[in-house]
Amino acid sequence: MSDLLSSEIDLEKVLAGADEELAVRPDEPSLPPLEWAGKNLFGTGQGSIGAIVRGTFLTVIFAGLALLAYRAVLNFIFSENAGWDSVRINLRLLFTQAYPDENYTRVWVTVGVVAVLAGLSLGMTKVGPGFSFKRIATWLFSWGGLIVLGVLLREPSVLTDSNGETRFADSRGVELVRDTNNSLVYQNNDPAPSTGISALRENFGAAMGDRLGWWIIGLALLAIGAAIWFVLGDLRRRTTFVPAIPLALAGIGLLVSTTWWYRWGHYTFTEEGGFEYGPGELVATSTRIPWTIMFVLLVVAYLGGRLLARATASGPIRIGLSAAWLLAPFFTYYAILRGPIMDWAHVVSTDLPLWVLFAGLGGALLWLLTRPGLGEIGRILAVVVLAAAAFTWVGAFFGWFSMLQKVRLSVLFLGLTALLAPNFIGEARQRMKLVVGWVGFITIFHLLVTLINTASSIETPSEDFAGGFMVTIYVALFTMLFSFPLGVLLALARTSRMPLFRVMATVYIEAFRGVPLITMLFFFTVFVNIFLPGSMELSLMAAVTIAFVLFSAAYLAENVRGGMQAIRRGQYEASDALGLTTVQRTGFIVLPQALRVSIPPLVGQTIATFKETSLLAIVGVFDFLRMARDVVPAQTEFLGTRKPGLLFISAVYFIGAYAMSKYSQRLEKKLGVGER
Amino acid sequence: MSDTAQETLVTTASQRPPFYRDATVVKWIAQVATLVVVLFALIFLALQAGDNVSAKGIKTGFDFLDVDPGINLNGTIDNDPDTGGRALWAGMVNTLRLSIGGIVAATLLGILVGVTRLSKNWMASKVASVFIEYMRNIPLLVHIILFFAIMQTAPSFSDDVGPLNGWVHFSNKGVSVPRVFQADGFYQWLTFLLIGAVVGNLVRRRQQRVQDETGATTYPLGSLVAVIAVFGVIGWFLHPLFGWLDGVFSTIAEAVDKIPQAAMQIALTVLAVVLAVNWIRRFLNSRRTPAGLAKLTDDDWFRMIFAGVGAAIAAAVIWVVWPGGSSWLINSTRDLFEVASDKFGAGRDSWQNDRPLGAARPDFAEGRFANPGSAGLNFSAGFAAVFFGIVLYTAAFIAEIVRGGILAVPKGQTEAAQAIGLRRATMLRRVILPQAFRVSLPPLGNQYLNLTKNTSLAIAVGASELVQVGQTIGNQTGKNLEVFAIWMLFYLACSLTISVVVNFFNVRLAIVER
Amino acid sequence: MSISDATTAVSEEMASRADMIVSDGVDKWYGDFQALKGVTATIKEREVVVVLGPSGSGKSTWIRCINRLEQHQDGRIMVDGVELTNDTRNIEKIRSEVGMVFQSFNLFPHITVLDNITLAPIWVRKKPRGEAEQLGRDLLERVGIPEQADKFPGQLSGGQQQRVAIARALAMEPRIMLFDEPTSALDPEMIKEVLDVMKELARSGMTMMVVTHEMGFAREVADRIIFMESGEIVEVGPPEHFFTNPTEDRTKLFLSQIL
Repeated sequence: MSDLLSSEIDLEKVLAGADEELAVRPDEPSLPPLEWAGKNLFGTGQGSIGAIVRGTFLTVIFAGLALLAYRAVLNFIFSENAGWDSVRINLRLLFTQAYPDENYTRVWVTVGVVAVLAGLSLGMTKVGPGFSFKRIATWLFSWGGLIVLGVLLREPSVLTDSNGETRFADSRGVELVRDTNNSLVYQNNDPAPSTGISALRENFGAAMGDRLGWWIIGLALLAIGAAIWFVLGDLRRRTTFVPAIPLALAGIGLLVSTTWWYRWGHYTFTEEGGFEYGPGELVATSTRIPWTIMFVLLVVAYLGGRLLARATASGPIRIGLSAAWLLAPFFTYYAILRGPIMDWAHVVSTDLPLWVLFAGLGGALLWLLTRPGLGEIGRILAVVVLAAAAFTWVGAFFGWFSMLQKVRLSVLFLGLTALLAPNFIGEARQRMKLVVGWVGFITIFHLLVTLINTASSIETPSEDFAGGFMVTIYVALFTMLFSFPLGVLLALARTSRMPLFRVMATVYIEAFRGVPLITMLFFFTVFVNIFLPGSMELSLMAAVTIAFVLFSAAYLAENVRGGMQAIRRGQYEASDALGLTTVQRTGFIVLPQALRVSIPPLVGQTIATFKETSLLAIVGVFDFLRMARDVVPAQTEFLGTRKPGLLFISAVYFIGAYAMSKYSQRLEKKLGVGER
Repeated sequence: MSDTAQETLVTTASQRPPFYRDATVVKWIAQVATLVVVLFALIFLALQAGDNVSAKGIKTGFDFLDVDPGINLNGTIDNDPDTGGRALWAGMVNTLRLSIGGIVAATLLGILVGVTRLSKNWMASKVASVFIEYMRNIPLLVHIILFFAIMQTAPSFSDDVGPLNGWVHFSNKGVSVPRVFQADGFYQWLTFLLIGAVVGNLVRRRQQRVQDETGATTYPLGSLVAVIAVFGVIGWFLHPLFGWLDGVFSTIAEAVDKIPQAAMQIALTVLAVVLAVNWIRRFLNSRRTPAGLAKLTDDDWFRMIFAGVGAAIAAAVIWVVWPGGSSWLINSTRDLFEVASDKFGAGRDSWQNDRPLGAARPDFAEGRFANPGSAGLNFSAGFAAVFFGIVLYTAAFIAEIVRGGILAVPKGQTEAAQAIGLRRATMLRRVILPQAFRVSLPPLGNQYLNLTKNTSLAIAVGASELVQVGQTIGNQTGKNLEVFAIWMLFYLACSLTISVVVNFFNVRLAIVER
Repeated sequence: MSISDATTAVSEEMASRADMIVSDGVDKWYGDFQALKGVTATIKEREVVVVLGPSGSGKSTWIRCINRLEQHQDGRIMVDGVELTNDTRNIEKIRSEVGMVFQSFNLFPHITVLDNITLAPIWVRKKPRGEAEQLGRDLLERVGIPEQADKFPGQLSGGQQQRVAIARALAMEPRIMLFDEPTSALDPEMIKEVLDVMKELARSGMTMMVVTHEMGFAREVADRIIFMESGEIVEVGPPEHFFTNPTEDRTKLFLSQIL
């Protein structure tokens, strides 16, 4: 099996190529339109009548299918009683549930943090040449064509009378009116027939006239596309590239700019914090200005990133950026969105001394343990620290003494780090690396624990302040963050040469992969607290996140294992022959290679997790899906209106998942995986 | 080489290093320590759970399986079950129905879409890829709930709701289609088919041999199908011939019932010991050389000790931890045979009227509200939403797997096949598809597993299947933990079955490589 | 300790040198296939030994046992006076003293050539990074490819990769170098550049044990040739004796097939 894998993926080529800039390769030359259509739609050019008949038949069948489906979708989206107001009015609910208006700045700060990080990362990544003008023109043609086609296909709008009521007609098109009992009758008061009544619609010409705006957009896109196509000529449109990121930024900018002139929302927020549904308004200023600021942040950060990428010390900056991405979820969630009320007395009396103790003494211990020529004493000391950690947990179980959970965990982490120390024995710089790493880790760990344990200042109607899309995103992020190390550990254990580790990892992975996620979610939401000591209790969010982490780790482990199988045995042998320890071999040789090959499946796993968060709706979390399925349809104005909301969240999920899968495909191409 | 020199050297025995430096010992200490920590944590949690449960006054146990759960199900074999066990069974049957039907439908649709996606025709390929991207990038649960919402706003049920009146009805009550059902005598007929398959296989082998020896075209596969068909036709009329199996099964059931619990416990213990001993023997054999037993390393000793410990743990479970397990095994086996006896008992004497299969078109039940009648096959709105959801969703993934499989066959294979003059059809059948199938099979098995697990999403639209039924019973009786155990066992059994089937084909198809 | 091996012609001078590798009755089974049958030989300091034999004769297995990439099941292996046992300290010591070059190079593809060379000196020998990098560049100079330091292994030709692999092994400043068919995976025009490096190494006084099919190299450089077949040492002798006047019939047959 491993032979099969390694023959498909030429790892050495992959890894050598991954760090080079993508070469600029001109696009394929295009066929003349008629020849293209003949070849791709009507099967000509193969020299057989059968091929032409088959090709034409397929084209007609599938074009018919596509047109029918497109028309049905358009008719629903633009139908007068689709109920899109239920989405428009409830955008805030869908995305952040009942997060208080007066604290909304926090949400925008969070989005701003993400925008800055994204901008910096975009600025610092090496990307390919971008998109050729040929591709851009093709997009413009496609979208323009789709819009024009849609304008033609959509059924004419329903006519309404002066009261805004829909007008009806019988099957022959004779209009019906409402009598005093509000039932439909003919003009001469004859009762209307029981079947064949439909809404009265305007005629085709008038409908086309009403859709002038759409006509203009569609034709404009077609015209721009044609201009690019014909002005540049075949060779230049294939070899001229527009960089991808500036193009994307321009697109986002265009989208943001529409908030200044198009009536997206028709609603605005009042002084009291509620919102009004005002027809004359543009999109609410509370939305328009923040979005513009976000865009500016993104662009500025992107330009900054470009500058930093050219700096000589870009290596540490990159590491810092990665660390910022890792910390951002915690920071935004616990420090910004919750608005913790710090108990400064407690901080000064307990938290700070503890931090000084662990950072200082722990650092000193590690410094000692990495002294050259220490021999086995280092390992023995580490085991002693681990034993002490174990003792604190046993003590907690039997209730011998009380101790902060934070201290127990810190001692445990110190023991584990001490166990790694022999790998860092050497010159002062080497030793300093471990000590600095430890101090940084313990600082962040203590900070986070303090933040998590501090009460929130945000008052919300429900226990958990997060909801809607916000909860979806955070559960997905925390899941990926925590399941990654766990999954890697499981993969290492499963590929280990030690049978007990292998058996334990296999049992875990197969058990979690064998049962449906929803049962795990029930398990963790319904009775996780049964298994915990009386004093401990998990909040709903923590419980579901743990369920997701444990579940996702099992799948992730299998992906990483696949990557490990692509590593040839010689790599292990060479590391052993050089005398690297198992930890060094794993950290320097095995994991870096395995993870690079596993990137595409890992992105796939991220997409899966993102989609799977929708299961939260079943176990009582107010997530994105729950908002659209239960909360919005429960409002008196929109009683039972589900379809628009569901379609809207479908679109949001689609954009997220599709973007990630396209990214993964690009990576796959870049890594040469799956190419022949 | 002089023998004397060697002897003198061997006698100076190697010194053992202290244990903390012995690579093997350190390795095993680390493993055992981790195992102990994990077990300790699990025991801790279990003890805690025991304390908490008894503190709340909840009684644990599986007695709810024999008590009337007081719940109603929909769209199952028994909508008003009289025991908890029966309710869960009805749920399992629905899960299996959804899974098996879903797997068949999703495979067919997936292959169709996958091949369309590969088509040279731009239109066909684009339509297929839009379908795939739409299904794949939106959560399955959202699909299901959207389908459910669409179903609920469909026109209300009547006998002319269409789209094909009298045959297919699509309404807010769900989907009604004609139904094929098992009648009395079905299992006797199935026995005929089984015998037909065995006989047909013999015929097929013979035909194959003749073809191999003489080169004559003997249609081995065709004759297999023909033999089965002949047996099917004969069995259609003569099925009561196998009615006597009823008595055989009931006799076996009685015999099983007479096995004492202790005998079962002894048998199971013997089985565990035999397995362990067998493993150790095989292990030793693999270390045996023509020159005698090879020197066993410390690692080998540890492995054998753990095999023994495993057997001891199994024995402890059988005798001390869960002695009831053995009688449960006896009872289940007895019940299984009794059910088989019932199935064969039905319709054993009716020569004239009963045919093993029946079919009926949907009908219209009179009442205050229009409802589909019981004759046709009715998917309730929820059930239909789940079924279409999982089928379309999985089909999109299967389509990608099929496409990937076909693309994974190197171009050189096509060229080589053309070079030796194979016709297009032969090339596809004998060269391309077998290789594509080999690549696609493992991910296909994964998708089948996912589909089976995804049936559990039916709970979101209230369609009855194992998880929905279990959740309802759990809420009614507070026996959530027990229900969870049943879920685990059932889904693990399903996963195992699918893995075994996929692995069977995988091994058969594997290309032998050095 | 010294083995008086009747078939080994050892010069007076050679006998006075220290034993670097002692293999004493080493047995190794794969299942019921015996790969090594009581392999007994001693390799002295600064000696270059070439191991010849048909494929499947156990040469590679033997050389890999000396580095404990494979575990022998019976007999003893002593390297520079340290016995190979389960003792982690002994394994560490031996591995840092024995350099190994593989048939398929086994360079680490995800790091640069220079990082390949400096990884072990930094993390195993605990050298300061600056010193290790200087050493790495010197070694690249020595194997004749100083300009490739910052490339990735995948961008190098096979011969260059194998020279990097030799440099990587030398960076640990080993006392013994093991070569497991170092030229078998190379195109003919690249074999020479690798062999030249190996010859230079042999002249500098390194103790070397080479499994190869390069008869010219064996004839020119080897102090002794060990011929193996089906897991046994069949014949041992200096090259001129081995190639011109072999004693054993199996050796004659082998030589007639390849020369």
